[in-house]
Amino acid sequence: MLLKIAGSIIVILSCSFLGFILSADCKKRPQQLRELQSQLQMFENQISYLSDVITDAFDRIGKIGGSETSVFFSETVTALRERKARSASEAWENAVRNNIKRTSLNREDEEILVSFGKILGSTDLDGQIKNIRLTLSQLKLQENKAEESRAKNENMYRSLGILGGIAVVIVLL
Amino acid sequence: MGVDLIFKIAAIGILVAVLNQLLIRSGREEQAMMTTLAGLIVVLLIVVQQIATLFETVKAIFHLD
Repeated sequence: MLLKIAGSIIVILSCSFLGFILSADCKKRPQQLRELQSQLQMFENQISYLSDVITDAFDRIGKIGGSETSVFFSETVTALRERKARSASEAWENAVRNNIKRTSLNREDEEILVSFGKILGSTDLDGQIKNIRLTLSQLKLQENKAEESRAKNENMYRSLGILGGIAVVIVLL
Repeated sequence: MGVDLIFKIAAIGILVAVLNQLLIRSGREEQAMMTTLAGLIVVLLIVVQQIATLFETVKAIFHLD
């Protein structure tokens, strides 16, 4: 009897925990998209007003840190400095592909970021700025979508976790 | 055994009803339908043994075998 109660509590707790993790993930995605936008904005300012080269600009953005998305920038810089990549776009693509799993961003966001990298460092300043603007507007769209799905899913995942745990316990009891 | 079974089925019923409402509220009618169906199947699986016993009893009472 005691064993049954202990097992039930463990099952309910772990299911609720799973629900809370999923709902936290829902909350993180719009936040990270916002951070990414402010980082790209920063990048635009640095190349247009400070005329920084890409490594310096990315280095500064990566050092400000404080978020999961800044690792894209710092890893691109490392790859470029250590001559692991042949071009900025290749370094950026590798950095995005390797680290996307650690963030809450999904496939669509990944594709947007990679297509941002395709033009990175291959046109003049005007082209770069236009590319950044385009990526910013796409990220804005993604953020709106993510915000919508967050409002829809955040509470649902949480209660679904708890109720699912209770359901499993009742069926097994 | 008997009363426990009824309570268990009642609990599953309540849970499925709540889950159904929750999923419909968050705009997932299909999943709500699936949950209801899953609940039904689980309850049927629990009850099927009892139904078999019932049929056996009926057969035994009326000497049908």
